[in-house]
Amino acid sequence: MSVEPFNRLVKLAARAFYDDITTKGDNQPKTGRSDNRGIAVVVLDALTRRQWVKEEDLAKALKLHSKQLRRTLRFFEEEKLVTRDHRRETAKGAKIFSAAVAATVDGQPTTKEGEEKIKLHTHSYCCLDYAQIYDVVRYRLHRMKKKLKDELDNKNTVQEYICPNCGKRYTALDALRLVSMDDEYFHCESCNGELVAESDKLASQEGGDGDDNARRRRREKLKDMLQKMEVQLKPLIDQLSRVKDLPVPEFGTLQAWEVRASAAGRAANGDSSNDPSRSSHGLGYGGTTLPFVGDTKVEVDFSGAEGKGENIKSENESSSLKVLPPWMIKEGMNLTKEQRGEVKQESRMDDSSPAVEFSDDKKSTVENDDKKNIQDEYVKAYYAALIKKQQELDEAAKKQDELSNTHALNGISGMTSNRQVGMKSKRDEDDGDDDVEWEEAPVAGNANENYKVDLNVQVDASGEDEDDIDWEEG
Amino acid sequence: MFFHIVLERNMQLHPRHFGRNLRENLVSKLMKDVEGTCSGRHGFVVAITGIENIGKGLIRDGTGFVTFPVKYQCVVFRPFKGEILEAVVTMVNKMGFFAEAGPVQIFVSNHLIPDDMEFQIGDMPNYTTSDGSVKIQKDSEVRLKIIGTRVDATEIFCIGTIKDDFLGVINDPSAG
Ligand SMILES: [Zn+2]
Repeated sequence: MSVEPFNRLVKLAARAFYDDITTKGDNQPKTGRSDNRGIAVVVLDALTRRQWVKEEDLAKALKLHSKQLRRTLRFFEEEKLVTRDHRRETAKGAKIFSAAVAATVDGQPTTKEGEEKIKLHTHSYCCLDYAQIYDVVRYRLHRMKKKLKDELDNKNTVQEYICPNCGKRYTALDALRLVSMDDEYFHCESCNGELVAESDKLASQEGGDGDDNARRRRREKLKDMLQKMEVQLKPLIDQLSRVKDLPVPEFGTLQAWEVRASAAGRAANGDSSNDPSRSSHGLGYGGTTLPFVGDTKVEVDFSGAEGKGENIKSENESSSLKVLPPWMIKEGMNLTKEQRGEVKQESRMDDSSPAVEFSDDKKSTVENDDKKNIQDEYVKAYYAALIKKQQELDEAAKKQDELSNTHALNGISGMTSNRQVGMKSKRDEDDGDDDVEWEEAPVAGNANENYKVDLNVQVDASGEDEDDIDWEEG
Repeated sequence: MFFHIVLERNMQLHPRHFGRNLRENLVSKLMKDVEGTCSGRHGFVVAITGIENIGKGLIRDGTGFVTFPVKYQCVVFRPFKGEILEAVVTMVNKMGFFAEAGPVQIFVSNHLIPDDMEFQIGDMPNYTTSDGSVKIQKDSEVRLKIIGTRVDATEIFCIGTIKDDFLGVINDPSAG
């Protein structure tokens, strides 16, 4: 999508039509100082170098008074060249925009917002509407040409008729009174003479009286104007035809553009961090792509796990059903308890890990790597759950706070903390509760992401904490 | 263009219409008097759609007639310059053709008929293109643009053109 041809179109149109536009009211004295003709062209040119821009920033960049700029922009909004957007926003909201700008301009990583004031200000933004500009310019040219041609062809003019006998003049509006039933002609009301259409008279008496001369001069002038128009606007018309089949640059609405621009900026930086604070303020504006990042990752893991499940089946006959790690279980999945890993988890893991070792030696390593990864992840998830419980009991780790806002983690910690040694009688009941919580877990927006990050961080510690937990007995 | 407006009129009612049917008599007389008339200001009154209010009657000295001020809602049709209308051709002659759009008469002079249409004299005078594919004659339906109106107190007359994009014959009776 190249903007350049369209920018050229804008620049040509600006110079052709808006060169002598002054936005001052007519009542103000037109002194040399207040004459701001040409501003319109400057503003349009500046806009071709930007996408969405805050009007304050634009005014600063052009060293214009913001009132003057606003007047010019309002004019262009009426002319349908510019789209504008106004919104009341906090200082934070303004930062989203500047972050988006930063992303488009030089791809700098967006900075995290600090504390923001709750004070709201109305900010205006503007942007060229290229698709509409293309139409507006074409329409303008069409109207100009049509007006001249219509006048030249006497179109839309009321036909006049003259009585050759008494010289009385009539117009087409009198037609109803003039029509006669006897023949095909109009007749004079006073002398019943046959009326003659005036244009015919003009044609028959070329170079007649002064009235006709004036009319002919007018026609000459119109023809001249039409010709001049075609010559002088040729660059513009050429540019229009050049642009005709090109895709029009489209920036979308301010919000859509912000989201896209900042997302693109982040992608360019490889900055995939997905901190919840950012996504939550993104949600405040209704559209953000961030929650989907988490979902996609789940999908990828899931497909990997399926491949692994087959491996287990072939190599480890004793377990016909694969065990799904808790972080893979989604709402709506129809699983047995075994699959949920709620029965004999420990023993299964013990079974399968030697199998991995075994196959590692003898079979193709690709499959096993895959399998091992999945199993590792399972182990990680498992231990993470244990640690979670541990942490809650100890109330030591501060990270807990950050994580506890997701259902998934609450689920884990709730479950593990209830399963104390000697409380086995309660287990079934707990399982029921747990099921509900587990299934809901992945639904929560970016919970997956957080969860996984957490897993990686905490796995190291898993070794020491195991002994507390009664699962091994089961 | 059509408008739904409220108009007022003083109705004179003969004493023989008084009685319990006074109101109905008043309304039916109003319809007879007003529908189909034309005022330069509001255009043609197409139909009365409702009575807003009937004021107190005033007995005229000497005659016994009573005058009621009646406010009524009605649909009016008022043609405007620049408006596009569909009309039926009523008469074709060398100077152009006349057409009707409901109550409005429109004249299209021959210089506002496309240049490639020529007048053909005969039993059914008409304007026809050289290849004969398009013909304007009596009862043809045309779409035209109003380029001028003459508004008198009781009459509206229009002149139109078919010399523009998408104007001209829309239904040819001879072809059907
Ligand atoms: Zn005469």
